[in-house]
Amino acid sequence: MRVSLDLELKDEPGQLLLALEPIARHSGNVISIIHLREEEKLRAGYATVHFTIDVPDKGCLERIVEELEERGVRVTKLGEVTKKSKLTLLMIGHVVDTDLRDTIDRINELEGVMVSDLSLAMPHPEKESSAIVDIEVSAGVDRHRLMERVYAIAKEKDLEIVRSLEV
Amino acid sequence: MRIQIIGFGVIGQGLARVLLRKEEELRQRYGLEVSVVSITDISGTAHAEEGLDLRKALSVARETGAIVNYPGAKEMSGVEAIEEIEAELVVEATPSNIKTGEPGLSHMLAGFKAGKHVVTSNKGPLALKYRQLVSEAERNNVEFRFEASVGGAMPVINLARETLSGDRITAIEGILNGTTNYILSRMTREGLSFEHVLREAQELGYAETDPTYDIEGIDTASKLVILANAIMGIDATFSDVKIRGITRITPEAIRLAKERGYVIKLIGEVKNSHLEVSPRLVPETHPLNVDGALNVAMLHCDVAGEVTVVGKGAGAIETQSAILSDIIAIWKKVKG
Repeated sequence: MRVSLDLELKDEPGQLLLALEPIARHSGNVISIIHLREEEKLRAGYATVHFTIDVPDKGCLERIVEELEERGVRVTKLGEVTKKSKLTLLMIGHVVDTDLRDTIDRINELEGVMVSDLSLAMPHPEKESSAIVDIEVSAGVDRHRLMERVYAIAKEKDLEIVRSLEV
Repeated sequence: MRIQIIGFGVIGQGLARVLLRKEEELRQRYGLEVSVVSITDISGTAHAEEGLDLRKALSVARETGAIVNYPGAKEMSGVEAIEEIEAELVVEATPSNIKTGEPGLSHMLAGFKAGKHVVTSNKGPLALKYRQLVSEAERNNVEFRFEASVGGAMPVINLARETLSGDRITAIEGILNGTTNYILSRMTREGLSFEHVLREAQELGYAETDPTYDIEGIDTASKLVILANAIMGIDATFSDVKIRGITRITPEAIRLAKERGYVIKLIGEVKNSHLEVSPRLVPETHPLNVDGALNVAMLHCDVAGEVTVVGKGAGAIETQSAILSDIIAIWKKVKG
């Protein structure tokens, strides 16, 4: 997960390191650091620094925040950065004959869902073919509902669906 | 400790072989002397108060295929043997039946009623009647352990319940059937069709003559139910699992997946009280991507994070690792 956090650091040398160590220790990966020198200072002698980091899970984030606070670094803002996630679906069956265009359109009809890539394998006109599609899913989309729609289409068209693990 | 073996097929005979091999070691390391006082198969029961000659029992089984040919053996059923013969522990190792759970279910219940501890490798009764079995064992104040029922030699139930006892397990996913993993791995490596690899697997003895339980995901589903109950405390039974097998997977599908960095694996998953068995796209770099006939389980823990175990999911000898560990755990507990 990608997280943004504003930290209040003492405006003196070496303070950035104080903030970076806990992030590194708990598997955080720093995406960007911006010094917000123009921002209104909350406390005299302190500066706000805006971090964007990737962390493996909530547990890591909690440990990072905990350790920052222990070191006297105040976390003034904390939020998950909403970003699109990817879902990959493999469809096996008479993918083309059952109107692949229609299949994709019906997936795209859902708000915040878009098929972004597709590859096709057709071994023989009479044999079953396969298609693999990447689907971009905006944050906040109910993935369960998305999969329900996919399975309903699959049932109607007798397609076997193999979805990626992270769903 | 006096033990009764009910079911003398691959697993029962494997236990006899390992007990012979480990006799001295069990005595030295744990002060545990195992005496097998009876062995039952479909033909009858061999019984000796002072302990059976396991070498002889194995040769009788090998040569005649029926334990009733052991000197002095009787046409006595498993339930009768459990009720009538004195022993502390029953190892229930009859074939798994996912429709009725029998005959294993009756053996286990008879064991509890007779005040005997039960160790089993038999999935069927657990996948159908988990709650009933556990509460009957508790009511009769006996131990009931079943590590061998899931993943063969791969330790997962005892790992989660004992080693990770401070964690709450929030989700489980894994490959719990070696046959399907073998089939999919070979299809991936060699670009062969499902039918082709299945036929070869049957000829080599890796797949049953009736492979339905494996390839339709039924075996995986049974194990998933046991994990959901035993590790996550979910009151689920076999009919709660949404099941899809691997029969429609084609070499072209596998190739497409591979081009995107995925492999296809038959995955059992428990998440948010939802139980599902289905073929899934697993990133090639993911810990669940294990090859060949191996089993793997990933436990999502609230403190430890993810813990993954890999091991041999079947095998006459390997499975005894789980059965022995259960027998030893019970021994340690009862001797105090």
